[in-house]
Amino acid sequence: MTNKYIALPKGVSAENFDAAIRAFRKVLGDASVLTSAEQLAPYIKTMMPVPDADHTPSAALLATTVEQIQKIVAICNQYKVPVWMISTGKNLGYGSAAPAERGQVVLDLKRMNRILEVDKDLAFALVEPGVTYQQLYDYIKEHKLGLWLSMPAPSAIAGPVGNTLDRGVGYTPYGEHFLFACGMEVVLANGEILRTGMGSMPNSNTWQVFKWGYGPYLDGIFTQSNYGIVTKFGFWLMPEPPAFKPFVIQYQHEEDIVEIVETIRPLRISGVIPNAVVIAHALYEAPVKAKRSDYVSGPGSIPDEAVYRIMKDHKLGIWNVYAALYGTQEQIDVNWKIVTQAFGQSGKAKILTEQEAADDPAFAYRAKLMRGDMTLTEFSLYNWRGGGGSMWFAPVSQARGSETLKQMALTKQILAKYGLDYSGEFIVGMRDMHHIVDVLYDKTDPEQTKAAYQCFDELLTEFSARGYGTYRVNTAFMDKVAETYGPVQRNVHKTLKKALDPNGIIAPGKSGIR
Amino acid sequence: MKKIKLENWVSGCIFAIFLTISNTWSAQDEKTAPGFVWKDGAEIYAKICAYCHEAQVGPQIRHRELPAAYIRAVVRTGNRAMPAFRASEIDDESLVKLADFISKKETQH
Ligand SMILES: Cc1cc2nc3c(=O)[nH]c(=O)nc-3n(C[C@H](O)[C@H](O)[C@H](O)COP(=O)(O)OP(=O)(O)OC[C@H]3O[C@@H](n4cnc5c(N)ncnc54)[C@H](O)[C@@H]3O)c2cc1C
Repeated sequence: MTNKYIALPKGVSAENFDAAIRAFRKVLGDASVLTSAEQLAPYIKTMMPVPDADHTPSAALLATTVEQIQKIVAICNQYKVPVWMISTGKNLGYGSAAPAERGQVVLDLKRMNRILEVDKDLAFALVEPGVTYQQLYDYIKEHKLGLWLSMPAPSAIAGPVGNTLDRGVGYTPYGEHFLFACGMEVVLANGEILRTGMGSMPNSNTWQVFKWGYGPYLDGIFTQSNYGIVTKFGFWLMPEPPAFKPFVIQYQHEEDIVEIVETIRPLRISGVIPNAVVIAHALYEAPVKAKRSDYVSGPGSIPDEAVYRIMKDHKLGIWNVYAALYGTQEQIDVNWKIVTQAFGQSGKAKILTEQEAADDPAFAYRAKLMRGDMTLTEFSLYNWRGGGGSMWFAPVSQARGSETLKQMALTKQILAKYGLDYSGEFIVGMRDMHHIVDVLYDKTDPEQTKAAYQCFDELLTEFSARGYGTYRVNTAFMDKVAETYGPVQRNVHKTLKKALDPNGIIAPGKSGIR
Repeated sequence: MKKIKLENWVSGCIFAIFLTISNTWSAQDEKTAPGFVWKDGAEIYAKICAYCHEAQVGPQIRHRELPAAYIRAVVRTGNRAMPAFRASEIDDESLVKLADFISKKETQH
C-alpha cells in the first residue's frame, strides 16, 4: 500500500488514505481522481528553491459541481485528509499548482469553468473558479458587451477567481482586484454554502452590485486564507472607454525614482491618472529586448555599467513609468496637459506615446496590460537567467519617493550579495506601492538555488526588521511572513480557523494558518 | 388567538420557502449549460502556446516535426521556465490534437 501513492497527507495512514480515495472516486468517478506520478506531474513543478518533494501532492481531485465539493469536504472531515484549492492554478512564482505541504490533496477547480453571468448595464461578472481571463475576454468580445478586464501579466492562462483570492493586481483603473470583487459563494468546511454580502438573502438581485450586505463584511476572510472553498465569484468590469492613451515616461538615474513618485502620487490620488501605474526598472523590461549573456558572463549580479549599455542599446530608461489615460478624447486632452506639465517641470523626463513607441515590444505589451488585452510577453523574464527559478519578493511601500529609493537600494544590495539581479518594479496603488521583485535564478544550478533561498530569507528578515511588510509570498515562506505580522494577528487567524474548520481540512498552512 | 396562529402559519411557510430556496441554490445552477471545452488543437495553440511561442518568448515549435510524445511530455511537466499544464486545463484528448497540430509538417497546412 505504501507505494501506491506518491505521497501521503501528514498523519494519515495509507489505509485511511486509501479509503478516502475510494470515497472520492465514488463522488467524482475514477477519471477525476488523479493519483499516479504521471497524472500528478503538472502539480509538482514549482519555481521555488526547495525540493519538489516538500510540495508533492498525494492526489488531485477534478470537481465540477458545488455538490461534489460538499461531498468532498465531508470525506475530508471523516478521514482528516487536507485539500489545497486551485482555481486556474497558475500561481507561478508563488507556488504554482503545488500544495503548501507535502501530501495535501489538490482540489483542482479548473473544470468548474462556467461564466454564469455578465451584465452589460451594471458591468459585472459572476464566474466559477476555473474561468480564465482568456475565456471571459472571448465571451465579452463574442457578445459585444463593451467591457474591459483587468488582469495580471499571465492574463490568458490565469483567472479572476484565483488571482483575486490571492489579492493579485492588474494594470487598468480596476487594477487592485479585490477592491472590485463583489459577492462570493463559499463552501464551508462543514459543507454549508455561504453566499456573502447581499447573496445571503434569498431572491436578492443585488449580490454583484453592493459589496457590504448587512453585519460584519466577510469576503475578506476568504482571501489569502483557508476558511472556505470559493465556488462562485462576482466582480466589477470597466466599461470600455471611448478613448485610451497609453504612455511611458523614461528617466535615466536610479535616484530619479524620488521625483517620479512625488510627481505621480498627487496625479494618482486625485484620479488624473486612474490606472495602476508601473514604474519598471530597466532590468525588469530588458528581457523583452535583450539577452543577459550578451552583456555579462560568469557569476555575480549584473554590474550597473552593463545595465547602462542595455538601456542605451534598447532605448530603455533606468526607470520606465507606464501609465494611461481613459475617457472621452476631451477628458484625455485635459488630463494629458496636466500630466505633461507635471512631468515636464524638471527636464529629466522623456515622455513617449503610441506615436513614438507603438513598435517597441516593451511598450506594446504594457499597453496591452493597461487595456486588459491578452499577452504573455512578461514571461520573457524567465529567459534572463534561464533554468526556471523564480520567486516574487513583494513588500509594500508608501507612495513616497524617499521610501521607494530606500527599498530599492536595500533590495539591490541584498540581491548583489547573493549574485542575483534587481529585476524590480513598483505597481502604484493610490497611497501604496507594491514593490515587486522577480528573484530570478537558475533552478538547474544547485549553488544558485541555495543562494536564492538564502537571499529571499534575508530579504524578508531585513525588510520586516524595518517595518516593511510583504503582501503575498510563495508557499515555502508563508510561515516566515506570517511571523512578521506579530502574534496577535496570528492568534486571531488561528481562532477563526478553529471555529470554521476544526479538523483543519482546508489548505492548512495557507498564509501560515493551521 | 386565531390571529397568532395564522401569523405562525405564515411565518412557518415563509421559513419553509427560504429553506427550499437556500437548499436549491446550487442544484439550480448545476442544471445550466456545461463548462468550456476546447474545439481543436489550433484553438489551444492560439489561446495558450502562441502567446509565448509566436512572440519570441519561447522557441518556435511548429512545423519542426517534434515527436508528439515529446510535446505531450513537455506540456505536462513544463520545460525549465515553461509552466506545466494539467489535464484539467488541456485534457488528454485535446493534448493529442494539440501535439498533432504542432508537429505537422508545414506542407500539410
Ligand atoms: C511573468 C509573470 C508575471 C506575473 N504578473 C502578475 C501580476 O501582474 N499580478 C499578479 O497578481 N500576479 C502576477 N503573477 C503571479 C501569478 O501568476 C498570478 O497572480 C496568477 O493570477 C495566479 O494564478 P491563478 O490566477 O491561476 O490562481 P490560482 O493559482 O488558481 O490561485 C491562487 C491561490 O488562491 C487560492 N485559491 C485559489 N482558488 C481558490 C478557491 N476556489 N477558494 C479558496 N482559495 C483559492 C489558493 O491559495 C491558490 O494558491 C505573475 C506571474 C508570472 C509568471
